[in-house]
Amino acid sequence: MPRGLTRFFTNLGWTVYVAAIVTWLLFPLALILLSSFQGTISITTDVTNLNLSAYEKIPDRYWNSLWFTIQISVVATVAALLVSVPAAWAMVRGKLAERRFLSNVVLLPDVVPHIILGIALLTLYMQVGLAKTWLGMLLAMLSLSLAMGLRFTEALLEGLPEEYELAAETMGANKLQALWLILMPLMAPGLATAALFIFISNMVTFELLFFISGPNASPIAVRLFSDIIDRGIMPHSVAMASIMIYISIAFYAIVALTLGPKYLAGSNVSRKG
Amino acid sequence: MTTASGKATADVAATAISALTRKRHLRREMLYRLCAMPAILVTVCITLVPMGLLLWLSLQDQREGGFSLRYYIATLTDSFFLRTLGTTLSIALGVTVVSIILAMPLAYLLARKTLLRNIIMPVISVPRMLPFVVVGYAMILLMAPVTGVLIQALNALGIVDGPLFFLFDWPGQAIAFGYSGIVVATAVLSGVLMSVDRQLEQAAVSMGASPLRAFGEITLPLAVPGIIAASALIFTTIITAYSVPVILNGRVPYMISIIIASNLLTLQQHHLAYAQAIIVTVIAISVTVAAQMVLARYGRRV
Repeated sequence: MPRGLTRFFTNLGWTVYVAAIVTWLLFPLALILLSSFQGTISITTDVTNLNLSAYEKIPDRYWNSLWFTIQISVVATVAALLVSVPAAWAMVRGKLAERRFLSNVVLLPDVVPHIILGIALLTLYMQVGLAKTWLGMLLAMLSLSLAMGLRFTEALLEGLPEEYELAAETMGANKLQALWLILMPLMAPGLATAALFIFISNMVTFELLFFISGPNASPIAVRLFSDIIDRGIMPHSVAMASIMIYISIAFYAIVALTLGPKYLAGSNVSRKG
Repeated sequence: MTTASGKATADVAATAISALTRKRHLRREMLYRLCAMPAILVTVCITLVPMGLLLWLSLQDQREGGFSLRYYIATLTDSFFLRTLGTTLSIALGVTVVSIILAMPLAYLLARKTLLRNIIMPVISVPRMLPFVVVGYAMILLMAPVTGVLIQALNALGIVDGPLFFLFDWPGQAIAFGYSGIVVATAVLSGVLMSVDRQLEQAAVSMGASPLRAFGEITLPLAVPGIIAASALIFTTIITAYSVPVILNGRVPYMISIIIASNLLTLQQHHLAYAQAIIVTVIAISVTVAAQMVLARYGRRV
């Protein structure tokens, strides 16, 4: 009897604890969504008059920022993968003596705090006239994407045996054919995953871009931040924050459906800012 | 005679072949270096050069030019800066410890129960891919002094009377950091705990240990690398965070990043800001490197 009772209370304790943590993590986000549909920042429990007025009031500068963020995130992701795949191939297959050093150099942007790298880029950009420009933002994002891309592709290549390529070469393919016909198809699914993760972490980058952004080149995270400083919290900003939540949900839905939830555990993606 | 000349020919052929393979090997190495070159070049141009410039400028006098350590001396003797650095580090440390402790049982549960993991993991990961600003919005909606849902609920229940202002003080910032800290800690720790062999624990239990003791003496020590990695990640993220400290700021800045940004943007003391930025970088990188070194050592011992 006491044993049954103990087990009952243990299970009850676990349930309460898990429910409390999950509620704590999800309730604030639910508030954002609720507020965005009520069109006001003083939330009530009245759920009868949900409307889209806050979404309709989202000003053009928000949409421009979102579109701008998507553009540079996509370009930075593609460019990072184009550069990091050959680099990872050289580092994994090349067995160069200086491999560790080279790979640590590329991974450096991950170790330097984003805010500091942002300030450093501002000092450089002011000298060369890249501050507050599209290209400047893109390059900043690229340094980060490249570090992430190299980590993904290095791990990917280490998991693929070299024998496949060598076999193709033995059978008469030249190096380029072996890479294009054998290695690329093997890497493609992993590269797609990497692209997805790099893209979404580009979308949410804030500290790195804050100091080098300007009125005409303002990512959505910076726009939401400056608006809350200048004007306080507004219904249309809450609506845009909800859109960011939808993007995050869509990302995790894609990951969970295509790769399985086990990909979500672990530290392969650092969450900064 | 014929054997001697044959041997000579063979020698020549061997040297020719070895020269050829050496040449081929060198060409290969050249190709590999060429492939790695763009990535190195990009990183050098947009990370190493700016960081070097930052360091160089922090050692230059802003008005007169020329080498000067005055910005470092000014920063390290400024009691205001040091006090803020102290609060930053203590908030970061406290939040890291609390996040790890709160997330540990959940991570353990998710690592052991596949069904629960498949349901809960994607759901609680959502905050991980949000700009931190959005978390700030959420905290304001929840705990704003008058309109916050929590404050309204407490007022309705009669527990408190009138507005509560803790959100725009250090507790508010700590809560916001803890929010994302728990998310990161859960993800990292459950990944590590999944790789700990369950049978070790079952063996301990079958030999008479209580489940709690088995966890404490078998599983927890094996999860230490994950705890270190998660702590370093959370800690360095907090000491250099900028958005939440500004959004939830009161009259006194608690975070070092605010001082740096105001020196840079409003007070126009650029070089002072650069020196402070270098100091923060050194702290953040030391934490990361220390964590790596402990991990490497741990790996050797186990």
